[in-house]
Amino acid sequence: MKKLEDSTRVVRLSDVSKIFGSDEHKTVALQNVSCDASSGELLLVLGPSGSGKTTLLTLIAGLLKPTSGTISLFGKNIESYSVKELQQIRAMRMGFIFQTFLLIDSLTVQENVGVVLRFTGKIRREAHRQALRLLEQFHIEHLAKKFPRTLSQGEKQRVAVARAIANEGDLIIADEPTGCLESKQGFEIIQLLKTYSRDQNRCVIVGSHDLRIEEFADRILRLEDGMLMESV
Amino acid sequence: MYAVRTLRSQPLRLMLTIGGIALCVILMFFLFAVYRGAADGSVEYIRQNRTDLWVLQRYATNILRGSSLVSAFQGRKIQQIPGVKSISPVLFVLAAIKKGDRDRTVFLTGFDPEKNIGGPPHLAAGRNVSNDKEIVLDRSFAAKFKFKVDDYVQIQEHSLRVVGISTGTNAFVIQYAFVTVRFLQTMIGFPGIATCYLVEVDEKNALAEVTSKIRRELPRLEVYDHETFLENNIQEMRSGFLPLLYTVAAIGGIVLTVILSLLLTVNILERRKDFAVLKTLGSPKGFLRWLIIEQALLISSAACVVALIIFFPLVQMIEKISPEVSTKSTVEQIIAVVIVVEIMSLISSFLSIRRLRSIYLMEAFL
Repeated sequence: MKKLEDSTRVVRLSDVSKIFGSDEHKTVALQNVSCDASSGELLLVLGPSGSGKTTLLTLIAGLLKPTSGTISLFGKNIESYSVKELQQIRAMRMGFIFQTFLLIDSLTVQENVGVVLRFTGKIRREAHRQALRLLEQFHIEHLAKKFPRTLSQGEKQRVAVARAIANEGDLIIADEPTGCLESKQGFEIIQLLKTYSRDQNRCVIVGSHDLRIEEFADRILRLEDGMLMESV
Repeated sequence: MYAVRTLRSQPLRLMLTIGGIALCVILMFFLFAVYRGAADGSVEYIRQNRTDLWVLQRYATNILRGSSLVSAFQGRKIQQIPGVKSISPVLFVLAAIKKGDRDRTVFLTGFDPEKNIGGPPHLAAGRNVSNDKEIVLDRSFAAKFKFKVDDYVQIQEHSLRVVGISTGTNAFVIQYAFVTVRFLQTMIGFPGIATCYLVEVDEKNALAEVTSKIRRELPRLEVYDHETFLENNIQEMRSGFLPLLYTVAAIGGIVLTVILSLLLTVNILERRKDFAVLKTLGSPKGFLRWLIIEQALLISSAACVVALIIFFPLVQMIEKISPEVSTKSTVEQIIAVVIVVEIMSLISSFLSIRRLRSIYLMEAFL
């Protein structure tokens, strides 16, 4: 899969709406949202709980289909990708950080990072070697053989970031990455993502309700009740 | 690696599952071993008493579940046919041996000791019968009812001395015992009667000619060459045994598949968040499917190893407690069971894999 060379638009949403259910049971999660994100920038999607942040992130990741509007991902309408192509895009060009990190408990730290590299087609030995190098970059190589349940929240966050960037993807999607962290740890994870975005010229989209991290964002989208209120 | 780690995270469940499957595997090993033991015991007598021709009453095809009576007159006529070198009468009768106040039934086989054919296929102890007052007992029968060489057994009003213990004569539901044909004919009150005659010919390449001569001269008799007669008896034994064997083995296989499917499905449902995360991170379908298949194969392989470790001491114990249970295990039948178990485990994994479809990518974000 081809990597982006320069500052390029990674994702573009035009009039995107997402409605769950139908008739009287329908819930409008997003309504006519238009926005874009480019490589080299950290885009912060801010909004309270239930504002549609997660829906927006999952639409961008191709995990959901919009009810209306178009989403362009890596220069191509997301609807035109097959299921297999979207799976390959997630494996090769995207990274994810979840709210509670969702590391896999039965795998060691090294395996948690290595498993993503397996999805890019690397053999297990190579994937684990590369995972260890990545852990060294994050100064957590001593955790390589440990299991997630034995880690502190701060250690888990570093492993989660390592896993997200392991495939050197063009787009990182982080859903409430500071949600379960103290402010110091929260700043640290955003700082890591900011550095990665700037130094590696990657696009990072963070969904959060945490106003304290605004200062790290290159741009901010404010969502409320599924509508885009402000783009700064 | 993930497959191993996932299984190891629930050690008690894993052990119970391996134990349950190992029991199913042991059941299959045991059934096949009993079958092989019974099969050998049923037909070993015929296999070892290698003769050119077996002559029985017309329409009789075997000695296991068929009746045949050949008269002394017919025997003499066979002897007179050109090309026949020698004949030896064998008489089979179900008879009860008295042990205390209970009767134990044996497949009493009368043969002519002077002809050196028709007697016990192998002797484990003692010697063969040489006169009408002697008997050779099957080893498992003797062990079960605590008879040994030089003991006396009572059959009807006759007292016979045990002179030998034979092997290869346990047909599972009944065991052979050997006496002289003359004694047996006297015992049933039909001198000269036989179940069949074992015939040797002068020239082996004249077998077909002698066969057709006997058929022509004695149309009320049936003639088989050794291989055909052996095959007839094997088929007869199989037709009685195999349906039961396959039914019980199939039940064992189904139980195995159900246990394994249940474990794999529970594992998937318990870890659906992990599976959702892996799907979101871009896991190819094959990766997750292989994960389940790997788990199934690991469990079934571990169960086979456990079963093999337990099986042989268990069989020894069973044979000690119930000597009439005679088993025989071969490498081929163990390999066959292992292959069947691995196939069943693959079926279990395919049944469980369907659960993966119900895990949605979005679940990682919920």
